[in-house]
Amino acid sequence: MKLSLIKTLLLFTAITLLWSNFSFAAGIQYNMRVDGLACPFCAYGIEKKFTKTEGVDSVDIDLQKGLVIVKTREGKTFREEKLKEIINDAGFTMKSVTEKDL
Amino acid sequence: MKKILKSIQWLLFTVLVLIAITWFVWMPSAQEPAYVLEKTWGGKGSAAGQFNEPTGIAVQGNEVFVSDSRNHRIQVFDLDGTALRQFGVNNLERPMNLTIANNELYVADYFADQIRVFSLQGDYRRSIGKPGTGPGELTIPGGVAVASNGDLYVSGFTNQRVQRLRADGSFVRQWGITGEVGTFGGKLRYPTDVALSKNGTLYIADGYNDRVLAIGPDGKLLTKWGGPFAINIFGSFNGWFTTITGISVGPSGNVFVADFYNDRVQKFTRDGSFLNAFGIKSTGPTHTTIAVAEAEDGSVFVADYANHQIQKWRPGRAHI
Repeated sequence: MKLSLIKTLLLFTAITLLWSNFSFAAGIQYNMRVDGLACPFCAYGIEKKFTKTEGVDSVDIDLQKGLVIVKTREGKTFREEKLKEIINDAGFTMKSVTEKDL
Repeated sequence: MKKILKSIQWLLFTVLVLIAITWFVWMPSAQEPAYVLEKTWGGKGSAAGQFNEPTGIAVQGNEVFVSDSRNHRIQVFDLDGTALRQFGVNNLERPMNLTIANNELYVADYFADQIRVFSLQGDYRRSIGKPGTGPGELTIPGGVAVASNGDLYVSGFTNQRVQRLRADGSFVRQWGITGEVGTFGGKLRYPTDVALSKNGTLYIADGYNDRVLAIGPDGKLLTKWGGPFAINIFGSFNGWFTTITGISVGPSGNVFVADFYNDRVQKFTRDGSFLNAFGIKSTGPTHTTIAVAEAEDGSVFVADYANHQIQKWRPGRAHI
């Protein structure tokens, strides 16, 4: 009975660790609101900056919503300041950002 | 009381005179019959004849060359829109404005920070420039023009400059101050494209200054236009712009400007006198007219960014 309980606990711990590891390893999606994306000269500039940034998996521009959507590779995160800096380097101002785990 | 009334009368009179002057000087009327939309072709996709965000256009003889930006290719059509060939998939990242000179196609590649050169049949020939902000280096090149001696003029969108380079990419000179945005003191604001006339005048699309600069062969400013005093006052009146994304000189020597946020082409004489305007209004969220080129027969072709298509316009006939 005791052994069975220990086995169950071990199994539970292993699953929990595995799950948390998967969560940790997955990337993050950042949705950044930026004004003035209708002009491709500007939108492409932002896209290029992120495409050439280490750890970025994909960049999409949602013109309808005025969003720059960046998905990162496993374990890669960006601080808000860094995102602001990249957008700023492309000649824009980031209005807001939301993030979610992938 | 009488004095006050007289002052008000004078004030009103002055305002009316100013409005009249503004109207006549900065809101010119069309000098030609309206252009007529002859046809469109394309639609979003990656098959031959379809586009995923066309961003540049050039015409040589009976062929129309189009930058199909997100499909990383150049597509070639006859003047009626029949797809002839495509190329560049292995050499292009994000092709933008185009120019044809000395029987070669020059492509400003926005992501590669280089100018890619192809034969008109589509054979890759060479690349010019390398990424950077130093003399002769390129960052986000949006457009290119080529002189008969092979010298290149390249607009750098975020470097805020237009550079003149030798055919091998070596630096000659520049207009604008590297990395500095401005309207006065020789500064540019996100230049998007350039064009050269047969007599050597360089036209700079000073994109976010909403104006065109005409530079003489000696490198000095000949004239500039775009709204009152060409000082970054934007709008939708004739002769005003709201972000210029492309510029070209037609066989007739007239200057065609892609006025992006106004969804139209504006046509000017070589010295900037307004002649005509035409375009297809966008239904949002982005805009239509991103690049323009004129054929020998006077037809005008427009890269329509929002609708992923090409527009073909013909000059209107004068009513007798």
